[in-house]
Amino acid sequence: MDESDEDPKTGLRTPENPSSLRLHDRSHLDHTVLVMAPMSCALCQNAKAILKRPKTGQQICKECFFFVFETEVHNTIIQAHLFEPGDRVAIGASGGKDSTVLAYVMKTLNERYNYGLELFLLSIDEGITGYRDDSLETVKRNQQQYNMPLKILSYEELYGWTMDAIVAEIGKKNNCTFCGVFRRQALDRGASALEVDHIVTGHNADDIAETVLMNIMRGDIARLGRCTQICTRGEDTIKRSKPFKYAYEKEIVMYAYFKKLDYFSTECIYSPDAYRGHARTFLKDLEAARPSAIIDIIHSGEAFELREDIKATQKQQQTCKRCGYMSSNDLCKACTLLEGLERGMAGSVITDRARKKLDAMGPAPDNLRTIPHFQSPRPAVSIQSPSQES
Amino acid sequence: MASCGNPIADDSALMLSRPRFDKGKHCVKCKLNLGNIVIRHAVYCRDCFTPLVIVKFRRALEPHVNANAGTSKRPKLKASGSLVLGFSGGLGSAVLLDLVYKSYFAGRPPTDENGDPRGGINHPRNVSVWTSCAVCYVEVSSAIPEAHERTEEMRSALASYPNLKFIPLRLEDAFDESWWCRMTGNPDMSQLTLELGKDGLPTEGLNLAHSSNTLSPKDALRAFLTALPTPTAVSRAIQVLIRLLMFFTAQFHGASHLVLGSSLTTLAVSLVSCVAQGGGHAIREEFQEEWPPGLSPGVERGGSVRVVRPLRDVTMKECAAFAWWNGIRVPGRPRLTRVITGIPGLTKDFVVRLEKDYPSTVSTIARTCAKLEPKGTSVGECWFCYSHLQGGLADWKARISIRSHPNLKVVERLASSSPADSSVHPDQTSRLPPLDTHLCYSCITMFTSRSSRKSSFAPPLIHHQDMPLPRWVKPQDAEEAIPVSKNGELWVRSRQSEKECRESIADFLLPDN
Repeated sequence: MDESDEDPKTGLRTPENPSSLRLHDRSHLDHTVLVMAPMSCALCQNAKAILKRPKTGQQICKECFFFVFETEVHNTIIQAHLFEPGDRVAIGASGGKDSTVLAYVMKTLNERYNYGLELFLLSIDEGITGYRDDSLETVKRNQQQYNMPLKILSYEELYGWTMDAIVAEIGKKNNCTFCGVFRRQALDRGASALEVDHIVTGHNADDIAETVLMNIMRGDIARLGRCTQICTRGEDTIKRSKPFKYAYEKEIVMYAYFKKLDYFSTECIYSPDAYRGHARTFLKDLEAARPSAIIDIIHSGEAFELREDIKATQKQQQTCKRCGYMSSNDLCKACTLLEGLERGMAGSVITDRARKKLDAMGPAPDNLRTIPHFQSPRPAVSIQSPSQES
Repeated sequence: MASCGNPIADDSALMLSRPRFDKGKHCVKCKLNLGNIVIRHAVYCRDCFTPLVIVKFRRALEPHVNANAGTSKRPKLKASGSLVLGFSGGLGSAVLLDLVYKSYFAGRPPTDENGDPRGGINHPRNVSVWTSCAVCYVEVSSAIPEAHERTEEMRSALASYPNLKFIPLRLEDAFDESWWCRMTGNPDMSQLTLELGKDGLPTEGLNLAHSSNTLSPKDALRAFLTALPTPTAVSRAIQVLIRLLMFFTAQFHGASHLVLGSSLTTLAVSLVSCVAQGGGHAIREEFQEEWPPGLSPGVERGGSVRVVRPLRDVTMKECAAFAWWNGIRVPGRPRLTRVITGIPGLTKDFVVRLEKDYPSTVSTIARTCAKLEPKGTSVGECWFCYSHLQGGLADWKARISIRSHPNLKVVERLASSSPADSSVHPDQTSRLPPLDTHLCYSCITMFTSRSSRKSSFAPPLIHHQDMPLPRWVKPQDAEEAIPVSKNGELWVRSRQSEKECRESIADFLLPDN
C-alpha cells in the first residue's frame, strides 16, 4: 500500500501525516518488533521485511502483514459462523486501539467478503471527565471516517449516576465492579435501542489470556468455563462476540500504526485493580519469555471445561425482577449496585454476603431510582432437547 | 522478597492487607497454647501443627492405596505392589520421605519370645501396606552447566532411613540404549532423531530420521537440549525426561505406586505453568495419573503404576516448618540456572510472591483446576511425553496463524526458488511419519515455538545436524520403517552432513582461491 491519505481497498481517509494524529501509541512497538536489517519477507519473498510478527516470529513486509492479520480475523469469523447475511451488528467503540482497528477491519472484511452486514458504532459514556469525553471525540471522528451510524449511551442517562459521581461516593476501591457491571448492561441496552442482532467487541488475545489466568487464580469457575468462547449469549440477551480473539495486542497496535488509524490511548484514571495488574504483568513476562504463551493459554482455556458434576451446581439463569435483565439472582447485579448507591450503602453490596446484609435492613424504599425495564429486541430463545422436539 | 503490589496503582485505591493474627494469638485447635505458625490466617501451636500435616498427608494418600475402592468405608490398606518415591533432594520430597518412612516402614510389629512377629507373618497386623519402598533419584548435572554430581550426597541423606532401596538414575539414561533395553527387555538398536534446520533448531514439520551418529548418552542429552529453541523448552524437556524415567523405573521394579513430593505451592505452580504452556488438555494429569496411560510401544503392559502427590494439601511454608521442627535433613535440589528456567521459573516466582500477599491463592488455583476436565476425547498418547493427545491441533494452528502465503503462484515460485538446503529430504522423510501429528500441543510448542531470547544453554562444541530423541520416542510401526535386505542386513538411511558430503567429493573440488 502506498502512503497516500486514502486506502485503495476501503476508500477510507487516513490522516496525511502520522505526527498530526491525535495520539499514536508507539510504546508497544519496541525495538524487538521492528526489523532494521534488510531481509526479504518470509511470506512473499518479494518485498523487504519491515516487521517481525509477534505471533509467529516471522519477518514479513507490510502488505503481507495486512493480509495475514485480516485473513486470520476472517478465518475466526467464518470458523465460528459469527454472522448471517443481513445481520445488524453493533461495534462496541471506545475510541481505543482495539475498537478502532475492529471497526476498520470489520468494514474492510464486510466489503471484501460480502458478509452483507449493516454495521453500527455503539459507545458508552461512563462519565469520566478527562478520559471518556476525549475518547468519545475520537469515536465521533471514526463515525465520519468509516461512515457508520453512531449511538452513544451514558451511565447518567441510564442509571442516573456518572462514574465520577460513583467514585466520589465510594472512593476508588471496587469502582471497577460498578463500571464493568454497568457497561455490560448498557451495551445490551444500547444495542436494543439500535435494534441490532449482535455486538462485537475489541477483546484481543492478550485480554482473553489474562482473563483465563485471572479466573484460575480467583477461582471463578463460571467465568473460566466461558471466557474463551468466541460468542456468548444468554437466553434473552443479544449475541456478543470477539473477532480479535486470536489477535495479539501488539499486532493490533502495529496494524493501527501502519494503517495510520486515528485512536485514543490512555489508561482509565479509575482503574487500580491490583490483582488484574499482577496478572497483566505476569502475562507480559510470559510473552517476553516465549511469545506463543498468549495463544498457548487460550488453547489451554479451550481444551478444558468444567466437570459435569460441577456444572450441575451452577446457578440457573433467570430474569431480574426489577429491570428484566438476565440475572442469576432475583435482582441483577446492576440493580443491586444501584440500590446500594441510592441507599448510601454502595460499599456494602459488592459481595453476595453484603447483599444479604442489605436485605436484612429492610425492603428498598418505593421512591428508589431504578433502571428502566429491559426489552430484548429478539424473542426469548427457548432451548428444546431432541426428545422434546420429537 | 519484595511484595508484588501493583506499582502503578494509587495506594489509597488498594485494599488493606488483612492482619496476620486476625483471630487471636492462641492455637485454633487446642485453644491453650500460644501459636507458633500462621497458616492462611489460622494460628497453630507446634504440638498441633505436626499431627495436622500428618493428617493432610494420609488423607491425600490413603484413598489411592488400594487398587479398588471396594465397599467398605474404612478398607484395610493393601497395595498391589511396591512403592517408589521420587526424590529430588528438595523440601517436599525430603518431608515426604520422612512421612512415608515413619508412617509405613519404621514401625515394627510386636514380636513373640522367638523374635518372630506375633500371630505369624501373614497376620493382617503384620502385613505392611507396600512390600518394599525404593527411593528414586535422577541426577541432572549433565543437563545443567557447571552443576556437580550429587548422587552420593543423596545416598548419604537416606542413611537415616534403613531398609529403603536407593535407585540412582541419570537424566542421560533417557538416551541410553542399555538402560532402555533393561527397562523393556527389548534390544532395540534404533534411535530416532529430529532434523534440524540451518539455524540449529527443529524444522517446522518436525521430520523424523534414523540416527547415524553414535553419540554417548551424555552427548546425546546435550545435543537434544542444545537444539531446543527456548529456555522454557529446555526446562519442560528436563521435567518430562525426569517424569518418564521415574515412570519406566517404577514399572520395571513392580511398583504399584509412585509418590512425588509436590507441595500445594508446587502443584499450583505446575498447574499455572501447564496452562501457560498450552497443556490445558492434560491438566488432570498434574493431580493424578496412571502409568502406562495406554499402550506404550515396546513396553510390556504389566501392573499399572499410580502416581500420587500426598503433599498436595500442604503448602511450602508448612513443609518448611515441618522439616525444621522435626529435624528433617533437606539436601536441597539442584536449581536450574536462571537462563534455563523460562516459563516454569517465572511462574514459580509469580505464585510464591502472590502467595505472600494473598495466602489463599495457591489453594484456590488447585481447587479451581481440580474442577476441570479435558474437553473432547483423547486420540492417543503423545510420543514424547505420553500425555493424552488432542485431535485437530494442526487445523487449529493453521487457522489462527497463517505461516505461508496461500497464493498458488507465490507458493510455486517459492518452491522453485527455495534454497538448496531446504532441510527436507523426501527420500528420507517418506519412511517415517512426521512427528508433529503425534505430539501433544505442549510438546509441539516445545519443539517449534521460538523467542527473541535464544536459549543460552550450553553452547554446542559441535554442531549436530540432527537432534537425538529419547529412546522411548518410537512410532508404532518403527520396526517396519527400517528396511531389511534379503540376507538380513539392516539398512539405516540417514541424512548426510554437508561436511561428509564435501569429504566424499574432496578430490574433485578446486581450492576456493
